[in-house]
Amino acid sequence: MHPVIRLVNRNLTISLNKGFLIWQIVFPLIYIFVAGFAYTALIHSVPFGNKSLDYPAFIASGMIGFNIMNSTLISGIIIWNDRRHGMFEQILVGPFTRSHYILSNIYTIGIVGLISAALITAVGYPLFFKSVEFNFYTIPLVVFASVTGSILFGSIASIISTRLQSSEGFNVVINTAFLFFAFVSTAFYPAQGAPEPLSTAFYLNPLTYLVDVVRAGMFGNFSTFVGIEMIVLVVVALILFTISTKLLSKLEI
Amino acid sequence: MPCIVTNSLSKSYGSIVAVDGIDLSVNSGKIFGFLGPNGAGKTTTIKLLTTLIAPTSGTINILGMDAIRRPLDVRKKIGVVLQQPSYEPTLSVEKSLEKYGMMWNVERKTRKDRVEELLSAFDLEEIRKIKNDDLSIGQRRRVQVAREFMHDMELLFLDEPTVGLDPSARRGLLDFIKKKVKEGLTIFFTTHILNEAEYLCDEVAIINKGKIIAIDTPNELKNKFGREKTIKIRIPETKKDVQGLLIDVKDYEIDFNSGTNITIRSNDSEEVLLKILQILTANNISIENLSVMPTTLEEIFLTVVKNSNASSN
Repeated sequence: MHPVIRLVNRNLTISLNKGFLIWQIVFPLIYIFVAGFAYTALIHSVPFGNKSLDYPAFIASGMIGFNIMNSTLISGIIIWNDRRHGMFEQILVGPFTRSHYILSNIYTIGIVGLISAALITAVGYPLFFKSVEFNFYTIPLVVFASVTGSILFGSIASIISTRLQSSEGFNVVINTAFLFFAFVSTAFYPAQGAPEPLSTAFYLNPLTYLVDVVRAGMFGNFSTFVGIEMIVLVVVALILFTISTKLLSKLEI
Repeated sequence: MPCIVTNSLSKSYGSIVAVDGIDLSVNSGKIFGFLGPNGAGKTTTIKLLTTLIAPTSGTINILGMDAIRRPLDVRKKIGVVLQQPSYEPTLSVEKSLEKYGMMWNVERKTRKDRVEELLSAFDLEEIRKIKNDDLSIGQRRRVQVAREFMHDMELLFLDEPTVGLDPSARRGLLDFIKKKVKEGLTIFFTTHILNEAEYLCDEVAIINKGKIIAIDTPNELKNKFGREKTIKIRIPETKKDVQGLLIDVKDYEIDFNSGTNITIRSNDSEEVLLKILQILTANNISIENLSVMPTTLEEIFLTVVKNSNASSN
């Protein structure tokens, strides 16, 4: 078995505990069902391209992107725990290189991102099935969003975990960053109608692009703008991945 | 045949020289003890030999391979128990052994057998279902050492493996190590507990301030540096006048706690003993007990390090 696959196996075993899985499902469900239905009285429909989505369908699809981002916390947690509990050094005196370690983290978050997206799609499907327009690019777009989003946000979590020395600092910074990403995005509400500079800030946030790609796939609304968003996502993900790889490569032992 | 060879191996951190041009040659199938005071360069040397860090200069050959050019090939053939704890907090003892075997690509059936063997050998059966996070420091250390035997290797580096272990667990580990060496494993071993090194090691190197200051078998080191012997003579009665009789004799101490006890500490202890015996016999003083204390590796270690510090100062 390839060393990277063995490390991915190990990463999944140590990360996918009951608590994490419950968090990954219950937390988005609260948003989808509680917020989704509570706000329906206030937000009857949300304009999306040339369509109009009901709010539960809008937020359920947004939660897929949100969950992909949330699941990438795993990357930072793995690196942080490995450093804290001595496993980083132990792995590096074993039959692995730093590249194996870095790649295994990326594959792990990619897999967790895909599983998260699949879980929320399955759970949220009753809410948005009326609006879904399956076509030949639905699945490729959702998979693209899962993988690119995982690499992008996983790299952010990795960068934070390599730069901070205390677990408290790590938790504060990562939660603040992800809180910003979550709520200054179109995951929960549309950018249209939001006051400036908030609506502009939405488009400085990669989660907005991620969610737009997921919705374009699910609701059949692929446009040139979504294509540009996909290119931006890939470029930003590559830049952040390069930075996180360099930082991990230079991490002192 | 040597399985570790280093030439002029050095490692500096800025102006601090942690390892200063060491030359080592460790033979296969032996236990090599690497001793030194805190901060002497033991752990840095292990990190260099296990390819965890790169040297500033010098060469490292491990199991016939250039460790600087082929670090991954070297790591595939060695095992390492580092000084600092390493564990998977969320996994149980048996799961962490099993997963470690998987990480080393050990096939499933072999993994299963080895888990059972190691749980028994390291007395971990009772805690096999307990998560590593909930173990005591000593238990965690036992798991960490046991885990390393999940995979095949030709050379094992043990950096203070018995830290935190109780005496019986420590003896159990040392005996397990001896058994593995009989089966062909080579061990590079660092410890602060010199009794362990004496019990275990075929050859010993002492490092101080980044330099090797002595290297030989424990017995040869004793022969070289252990000329000073301690001899104890016990006289049952308290005879305060003995002190007066021995006034011309040097290198001895006397105390009168429950009888008369004479302790000789000298490089020429046999001569001193002879003089004292002659005086006691001439004065009809009978001896209850006479004992020679063997020189320990600890005494050698302290002497060698003290000499090294004195000469460098």
